[in-house]
Order: sequence, then structure tokens, then C-alpha cells
Amino acid sequence: MDREQLIEALITSRRSLHKSPLPRYDNEAEGGCGVIGMAASTPVRGSHLLQALQQMRNRGNGKGGGIAAVGLDPEFFGCQRATLANDYLLAVAYLDSSVRPQVEATCIEPTFIVDATFQVPTLPDFRSIPGLEVQPPDVWCYFVHVRPDTLAQFRQQYDIANSDDTAIEDEIVYQNTYSLNSAFYAATGEKRAFVLSHGKNVLVLKMVGYGDDVVRYYGLENLRAHVWIGHHRYPTRGKVWHPGGAHPFIGMHEALVHNGDFANYASICSYLAQRNIKPLFLTDTEVAVLMFDLLHRVYGYPLEYVIEAIAPTTERDFTLLAPAKQRLYSMLQAVHLSSSPDGPWFFLIAQSDVRKRAHRLVGITDTSMLRPQVFALQRGVATIGFAASEKQAIDAVLESLSREDTRFWSCADLYWNARGGSHTDGGAFIFTVQGDETGNTVLQCVDKFGRVIEPDPTRHPLNTHSTDGHSLVRHKATLQSLLQQELTAKELFEQICQRMPAWDYDGVQAFLDVLEQTARSDDERERAIETLTLLMDRRYSIGTMKRSCLLAMFDGSFARLVECIRDDRSPVFACIGYGDQLPEYQGMDAALLIDARAYPIEGNDSLARAIVTLYQRGFRRFIVAHTRGHRFIGCGMGVLSDNVRIDVYGSPGDYLASGIDGAEVIVHGSAQDQIAQIMKGGKLVVNGDVGQTFMYGAKGGDVFIQGNAAGRPLINAVGKPRVVINGTCLDYLAESFMAGDPLHGGGFVIVNGVSFDEDGTLRDMDTPYPGGNLFSLASGGAIYIRDPHHRVTDDQLNGGQFAPLTVDDWTLIRPYLEQNESIFGISLVRLLTVDGSSHPPALNYRKIQPAGHKALMPEEAWVRREA
Amino acid sequence: MKLNGKTTEERIIEKHQEALHHGFHTWPSLVFDRPSALGDARWTSDLILSTWMQAETGKPPDNGLEYRIGRSGGGFDALAFKYLPREQWIPEQEVVDTSIPLNRRPYDRHISIPIPWYGGGMSYGSVGEQIMLSRAKAARQLGTFTSSGEGGYPESLAPYAEHVITQVATGMFGVREETILRAPIIEFKYAQGAKPGLGGHLLGDKSTTAVAKMRESVPWVSLFSPFPFHSVYSVEDHKKHIDWMKTIHPDALLAVKVSTPVDVDMVAMGSYFAGAHIIQIDGGYGGTGAAPEIAKKNIAMPIELAIPKVHRFLLSEGVRDEVVLIAGGGIRTADDIAKAIALGADGCILGTAELVALGCTRCSNCERGRGCPFGLTTTDPQLSQLVDSDWGAERLCRFYTSLQRQLRTILRHLGLRSVLELRGRTDVLSYSRRDGQHGSRATH
Repeated sequence: MDREQLIEALITSRRSLHKSPLPRYDNEAEGGCGVIGMAASTPVRGSHLLQALQQMRNRGNGKGGGIAAVGLDPEFFGCQRATLANDYLLAVAYLDSSVRPQVEATCIEPTFIVDATFQVPTLPDFRSIPGLEVQPPDVWCYFVHVRPDTLAQFRQQYDIANSDDTAIEDEIVYQNTYSLNSAFYAATGEKRAFVLSHGKNVLVLKMVGYGDDVVRYYGLENLRAHVWIGHHRYPTRGKVWHPGGAHPFIGMHEALVHNGDFANYASICSYLAQRNIKPLFLTDTEVAVLMFDLLHRVYGYPLEYVIEAIAPTTERDFTLLAPAKQRLYSMLQAVHLSSSPDGPWFFLIAQSDVRKRAHRLVGITDTSMLRPQVFALQRGVATIGFAASEKQAIDAVLESLSREDTRFWSCADLYWNARGGSHTDGGAFIFTVQGDETGNTVLQCVDKFGRVIEPDPTRHPLNTHSTDGHSLVRHKATLQSLLQQELTAKELFEQICQRMPAWDYDGVQAFLDVLEQTARSDDERERAIETLTLLMDRRYSIGTMKRSCLLAMFDGSFARLVECIRDDRSPVFACIGYGDQLPEYQGMDAALLIDARAYPIEGNDSLARAIVTLYQRGFRRFIVAHTRGHRFIGCGMGVLSDNVRIDVYGSPGDYLASGIDGAEVIVHGSAQDQIAQIMKGGKLVVNGDVGQTFMYGAKGGDVFIQGNAAGRPLINAVGKPRVVINGTCLDYLAESFMAGDPLHGGGFVIVNGVSFDEDGTLRDMDTPYPGGNLFSLASGGAIYIRDPHHRVTDDQLNGGQFAPLTVDDWTLIRPYLEQNESIFGISLVRLLTVDGSSHPPALNYRKIQPAGHKALMPEEAWVRREA
Repeated sequence: MKLNGKTTEERIIEKHQEALHHGFHTWPSLVFDRPSALGDARWTSDLILSTWMQAETGKPPDNGLEYRIGRSGGGFDALAFKYLPREQWIPEQEVVDTSIPLNRRPYDRHISIPIPWYGGGMSYGSVGEQIMLSRAKAARQLGTFTSSGEGGYPESLAPYAEHVITQVATGMFGVREETILRAPIIEFKYAQGAKPGLGGHLLGDKSTTAVAKMRESVPWVSLFSPFPFHSVYSVEDHKKHIDWMKTIHPDALLAVKVSTPVDVDMVAMGSYFAGAHIIQIDGGYGGTGAAPEIAKKNIAMPIELAIPKVHRFLLSEGVRDEVVLIAGGGIRTADDIAKAIALGADGCILGTAELVALGCTRCSNCERGRGCPFGLTTTDPQLSQLVDSDWGAERLCRFYTSLQRQLRTILRHLGLRSVLELRGRTDVLSYSRRDGQHGSRATH
């Protein structure tokens, strides 16, 4: 029986499921959420997922949370590994335990042979979890396989011959779940029991509460799994919350969580209804995974096609595809475009690939970049990959993991953002855990097109080499004498840079030990921190070591220095943490070190408000250590905050430096979303990347970004912001820019299109701007883009035009590039070098200025007799 | 050349001013028919002229001008009050309270206004500075508020800061920590009823040098505020946005202004969860005269349907008494205000009505740079001199006073001692159909 016939048969077989007419498609208000997913080559414990979810609580409102785990540890269930691999794990949630015998008798026994049952353990009293108001359901797991006579009867009834047993069994399980849910969990009636998950080696648990409370209540801290996804929900309708509405929702062998809220729920329901699929839980997330299941299992599309159907490639990205891809994608879009979710969304899917015995995490982003997402990968002896709403959630997992398991360390090798529907990577990433030929379990990350994402494989992680004891002693002695010298931090850093390629991790750790030991006085500590900071920020050759491992080591050393400062209680270099009384300003040039860890991320007691209070008391110099998603750092100081300097370490949260008016904020690492919005003046430096809507509505300031910006940077900016972005942006850079004439006090953005490789060498990107919308509808300001090969073309502009770089332009931007060099070590000479030879600026940099678009300037256009 | 100490320009402006003021005074008392080209079915010539009279006298007209309803045949014009018989009216000597709180949550600053309305957002650029000053002065005089709109916060308004709401709109024009810190109430404008989903527009010839300076943009270029906040595409982003403002100014109250889509009740609920104190729903009858024709009055739900929908949803969710619901969009008269409250709002926003009090005749030329014959919706240096802010403030004060008088009368005739008691009392409303017949059931 060929695929087409099988599809027909499966779809027809569902007709009998829906006897009632189409319900009114009145879906529940979804809205927003926080999501996190991880996949690891070695199973990881649920307690690490809990850390991430706990830190992201502000993205939910406690009215729904859930997790899914794939690639489960048989020990938790007390069953055989083979059972997990071969049987369907039918997990049923009982809101009313009395109904269990009836459910088993009518919906389980007739269809399945039950090989084992397992009741998921729970805390004795749900009220012991603060804030949990609703009793979570009791969960029973049934390890089942389909009765042979049920299978035979299905075949006969729908005339399905010569086809794989598993395809039929899957469909039987799917339909059985639907019947169970219809009978015992009517969406608008009595809710007594429903199926949480039914795939092989997949478990979903969810309830009315926060996602991390799901882990606590069901004792999942010690459950090990290869793939985890977790979710907090933020629903806005209904006084009576029910667990069936929480995420994840299931297809067959996959579970999906979703951040966002798409607008075409009704049309997707119509599309599914035409294939005899009717949703039960009235949320857009459910139809998303029903769609996934239809395309993947029933139609048998490879993942690439599924992704294209959900997040289609359009506009300029489509024109840049190879002709064969264009033909293929046109066909997919012709059938599926109207059913692709329209609106903000970010999907995370945990999937059990039964046939290939693999476990998978898939992250797909929408084509307009309306939801934040970060992906990450760390490859060492074990490998772990992530996709999440915020970087700080990923860092929370790594921190938690690395404390327990030395195969992991606190910093990922790679972090990146995605643009859905792009021709470069499709905005979708797939992490697959699978056994290889030698019997090891490995993880591989690919993009939508199958290209492998991989950190430099020639570099080795911590602990795989070691230096012998004698040379370490000599090494330390040399370092001690180096540190006795009267060197500034910069000089010391330069000395270390020269030596580092020859060192290994032991050598670096020895240096750090010596640095900490010799940091006794305030001045020595200050120099130590400055040196460490340079080591964290700058790029330089590191032999065959991994930069992420070094960063983890530097973080550790920095943490110890902070502890010393805290214990020492020096008046000039004081340290406080949450709960300490905020000090009075003594009138000296004091630097205040703040340990951010226990501070609430937002609110009246937050770190951000503490900084404002301290500022109002007179403090001007702040060093903020150990940020863990803390938001609004630098906000609230008001007008003219000159002379303030804030150095930020760790994983700062959203809205950092928004609205600053004179202060200097320096981030030693990457920043997240909504950075420097409405910034009025001052200076911002980020030694890494920034996220979405960077500098939205900004009015001024000098800003330097070492890496990339995500979607919509500088949108609606006015006045005179002056920005250097050394990497590139996802898209919509400077849309509606209104920043006057840069040559007469207005604003501009310089984009260099370069990035450092892991050995500290600056490399040109393939194109300095890959998106389709550059400087759209801008009426003021300019972009100076480093594009010697003219890769950026007119079709990427929409209201802007290329103009030659004049002497005045170069006089204007040169000082900013010089400052860029002194901040990041990105050499101006190198920027002016193309293919090995030095070129004049006008051949390297192109200016993009407003074109006097008719829509914006109708009067002027009339006067100029524009067509 | 100066004559009597004034330049020619000053004399011309003075002459025009006198002519206009003479007109505002004389037209309402004309003995022959109403001017047939004045007004439309919503703002009839009677309503316009009676507003002018109230702005001059401080009381409703007693010469036969209709000052309660228009002739649109729908909306508030199809609603009437079922007054009690005379013997049940509250006597004149007894106090009738028209004040409302603007924060019903148990925490945060508690602000009350003595009249159940405040001025809606009209940006610098859409109107001139002297209009904004008139409104600010009147707001202070009467203890209520006016909103700066989305064009920035002129320095001349700073002395009145305690009565000025600052607006954070999607273009972030003029939004700075400095202005946020001044304002007792911060208003997020997500959408406006005149053109839901279309963002803000200030066409090129209104984007004068002064406006561009305030917004830090390029003069004479059309300014578009995007339709969404680009940083808010999901409800948890909205909460983050509100938390941002709270971090800058923890004591300020937060208002969220939205239009009236089909799921406006969910939107209100989401705002409640995010921490807003005031939810302002802006219907399609009002709004800027500069909205595109295709949008005006054609998009989103009429306000008289949206108010009870939101009111009842918030009631069913058990949060109605923690949130202040303000309705706006074409509120013209004391009767409109009372009807909106009876449908379920706590109070109202006035926009167009204030401009009419200052002389607007609804000629709909607002989007042109020099289109307003009365110097209201313009920042043109000459035309804007036609309105003196003290004169403007006086007129608004008298207009408000007249509205308050009428509101008290309505409450007395309904047997109510406080405007708070009127909220949600749809049972005191009757629905009259176009053919003039009155239904006996209250509207739903």
C-alpha cells in the first residue's frame, strides 16, 4: 500500500470519531509564556529544568505550567528499558480518581494489553507548595501495546493492507486518546480525566501552577531524561483554570510548548476539520501540534517540509533559494500557507523518534521574529543543546548542571538567535540525540536545511589534559614574579595574552590562583578585577582551549574575588547583597560591588530599584556581579545621570540601560532583549550580542556592540544616537529612523559585519546584512555599512538609497571606529583591509541615507516633481 | 511697523480673535434657524452651539438649544434615562457626589478626581501648545487630569505636572525618564478608537519645526507611530512593559489605552494581570479628525457595546472592583457621560468635546498644517496665536462646571446620591429605536 493510500485510509478512519457538529471556535485567550527546552547526550535530571523555570516565573502567571520529557530513565518507572522503548507510555491524568476503573475498563483494556502500570509519585500535600491553589491531577502511566485483534480489525475495517504495523498502531492509539478525552474531559463540561501523553518514551505532566511546581509536585527532580521542555502559561480568561489547557500538548510521539498567540486559530481549525481532526482543548497550541502530527506522521513529511509549511520562506528570502528549493517550497506553500500559524509564536517540540531510536528537540521561530528566542550548544565529553525564551534561563541550567556534573561547565560554546523563514538557516534548529556506530550516544544540531551547527571540533574542553606537577610549580613562580611588577591591568592582560596559547587549562587556573592570592589590598583587587574583565571581554589566541571553558573559569575566579571583597568590608570597595542594609554614601569615590543573586528580578525590591536608591544617596560607581536575568538595570536614575558607571557581569535581563541619560553602562558578556530603549544620552558597551528591539525609540547616546543585534534594532529612533554594531542584525535595522542629518548633529549606525573566531581572529561575514528590510521608511540619520564587495543590494532597502562615502562622512565616523578599537581591540586598520590589502574608507564603507520617500514627504515630493 | 504698540501681524491676529470670540458668543443665540452647514448627525449644530454657550456661561442653555443628545439614531442617541417621578428626586440641598477614584487596588497611590472624567490624549503636533496649556490649566483648576498625548511633554506644562498624564505610545515620541518621573499617571497607548490597528499618523505639513524639535525627528516629514509596540507582542511583554515604568516611577498609576476589538474583555483582563490601574477603552465615534477616512467609524466595536462587555467580564472574573474602567471616543455631553457610566464604566475621557468648547466646528480639516480656522489643531506660529491659554482654560472650566451640574441633576432624578451608584445600572436606561418608539427593556 503506498503512502497516499495510507494517508487516505487514516484520515477516513477518523470520521467516526466526530459525531457532533463543528463546535464554535471560541478559543481561550492564550498570550504569553516562558519556554525552555534542552537536549543532552547524557540523561539529565529534572532538577535542572526546575532552576530555569523558576527563574522565568515572571513570564507566567501561575495559571498553567507543564513539562515533557523524552528518552526516559527506566529506573524512575521501575520497568525494563525495552518496555520504555517498545511500549506506548499512556499517561492519564485523573482529576477525579473515582473514575479510574471506568476509564480503564472502557478506554484502555479493550484496545490495549497493559504490560505495566505506574502511579507517578506526588508530594503528600499540594498545599505545601506556596501559591499552588488547585489540586493537581493524579497521574497513572500505563505501558501498553495494541491488542493484535484490535489491530487486525482496524486493518480490515479501513481496508489497509501491506502496511507497517506501527503506522496503524500509532493511529489506533491516537484515536483512542481522542475518544477517552471526549468521554472524560469535555472542554465545556465535567472534567474528570484526560490523556497527558501517549507516545513511546515520552512523558507529559501539567497542572494549574507554575512549570517548576510540576517538577516539585511530581518528584521529577530525580527523573533523568535526554530531552526536556518546560512551560509557564499566562492565560487571561476563565476563573476556573483546568490542567488540560496548560502546555505541552501532544501529537503522537511529540509534545509541543508555545510562546505566543496566533490570530488564525479558526482557519487552522477549518483546515484540520477537512482532514477529520477536531481540537478538544480550545487553545491555539493544541492545533499547532495537531498540524505538526498531521504533516509529520500522516503525510510523512521530513522535518524540513514540516518547518516550511509552518514557517514559510517568502519575499526576498525566497528569491535567494536555489531553484529546486523554490519549486519544492512553492508546492508546499500552495497547500499549506493558509494553515501556517499567523502571529507571534515560538514552538519547542520534544520528540521521540521511535524508528530511529532517537530523541529530539526542535525549535521553530515565526517568520516575523515576534517572539524572543535563544539557542545554545555546548560540546564537551557530553553535549547539550538549548532553546529558550531568554538566555538567562539557559545559563541557569548550565550553572545548576555544572555544579553537579563536571562534564558540563557554566558557559555554552555557542549562543544564537534565529529568524524564521530565512534562506540562511530557516530559523529552525533541531537537536538530535542518537546512538552512533560505536554505541555512544551523541547529540547533533542541524538547521532546517540539515547543515550542522558545531563548535570548533579541534578544541578540547576542560579536564582532558593535565600538566605535570613540576612545571606547574615553576609556572606559578614565574607568574608570581610577573604579578609583583608594577603593571597596569591592561599591561598585565597583554602579558598573559602573549603566553596563553602555550598554556593549557591547568596553566590558566594556576594564573588565576596566583591572581587571587596576590589580590589583598583594594588596589590589587581592583587590578585583578580589571584584568579578569579584559580576559572575559577581549578576544585573543587561546591555543586549542575552548573559550567557553575559559569564560567559566574566569567567572569562578571573579566570584571568588567578589567573596573576598565582601568579607573584607573595605569602605572604598564595599560589597552588598540582597538583605544587607543599603549603605549611606560617605562622600568618597567609592565603588560599590553588588551581588545580584538573591535580589528579585523586578519589582520594588529589585536590584534595579536598589541601584536607583543608591544613586540617589550619591553613589556613582557600581559593579554588579552574578546577574541572573535581572531586569531594568540602569533604569530609573532620571535626567542627567552623568558620572555614573555601571559594570554588569553575569546574565543580565531585559531592558538594561533603557532610558539612561548620561550614565555609562558596560556589559561584560551578552545582553538580552529591549536593551537601551528610549536611551537619551550616555554610553553603552556590550561585550557580546544584544537581543530584540535594541534601542527602540532611542534618542541619543554612544553605543558599541561587539557582536550582533537580533530583530528590529533602533526602530523608531530619533535625535542623535551613534551606534557601532560590529557583527550584523537579523532584520529591520533602523526602520523608521528619524535621526536628523548625521553630518549636522544627527544619528547614525555603523555596521561592520565582522566576527571573531574562537582564536581571536577577526573574520568577515558572508554578508554584512542578511535580512530583507534595511533602513525601511527612514526619514533621518544614516547607516554606514562595511560592505567592500557590495553584497547588500537595492532590494534590501525600502525608502533608503546608497550614497558614496564623503570625506565629511569619514571625518564623522572615524572617531567612533577608533573608540571601537580601543574598547574591543577591533583594529581600524584591519577593518580597512580587504583580501589582504588596505583600501581607502570609501571603498570599504557605503552610506545608506533616506531617499525622500513619497509616502513620508508628500509635499516635498510634489515640489521635487517625483513620479 | 507698529501701531498702538503692536505689529501688523499682532493686530491682524487680534482682529481675527475678536471676530471668532464674537461668533462663539452670538451664534448660539441666533433668532433665526440654525446654520445648516454646521455639524453632523452626531455633533449636531445644537450640540456644538450649546457647548459654546456652556463654555461661556457655565450652565446648560435655556433658549431651546438641544444639549443632551444628537441625531445619529444610534449609539448613545438611542439611549434614554428612565427617570423617577418627581417626588423621588434627591432634593437640591442634599449633596450629590460626582467623584471617582482612579486607583481601586488596595496598594499604590490613591488619587481621586471630583468629576468622573479627564482629558484624553491629544499630542503636541496634533494640537498646538496653547491648547495643551488650556487643558492643563483647566485640569488643575478642577482637580482632574489631561493627557499629553504621544508627541512629547512641552516644558510649559511642567508647572501643571500634577495634573498631566504622560503618554507612552508606540513611537515612543518624547518618552524620557524625565517626563515619566513628572507624571502621577502614565498612560500606555496601544491603540486609538479612530483607527484601530493603524498606529499614529502626523502628516508632513503638521510636522513643523517645533514639533520635530519636540520629537527629535526631521521637520516636514510625516511621522508614523507603528501599530504595535515592537517590544510587546505577547501579554507577558505587556507586563514587562508595565514593570519597566514601575521601576522608573514606582509611585505612578498606570493606565492602558486600547481600542475595542472583539476580544476587548480579554485585553482588559490581561492588563489587570499585568498591573494596570486604569483601563481606557477608546471607541470609534471620536478620535482624531486626522484619521484615514477608510478607518473612521468603520473599525472595531461601538463603545456602547464594549463598555458592558468589559464591565461584565471583569465582574465575572471577580476583579471589577480592582480596576478603573474609563470609556472614551466621542463623548459629547453630560448625558453621554452618564450613559457610559450606567453601561458599566467608572468614568469617561473627553477629547473632541473640549476642542468644541474652544471653538471647533467639526469642519474636519485637522490633518492639514494650516487647516484649522480656529487655531486649535495646528502648531502654525500664526494660527496658534488665535487661542490664548487663559481664555481657553476659562472656557474649559465653565464647560466642565456645566457638565457637572447636569450630571448631578441626572443623578438626582434617578434617586442616586453618588456617581458610583450609577455604575452598571443598565436598568435605568431605555433603548429607543430609530422610528422614535421607546422599548421598555434596558439595553444589553
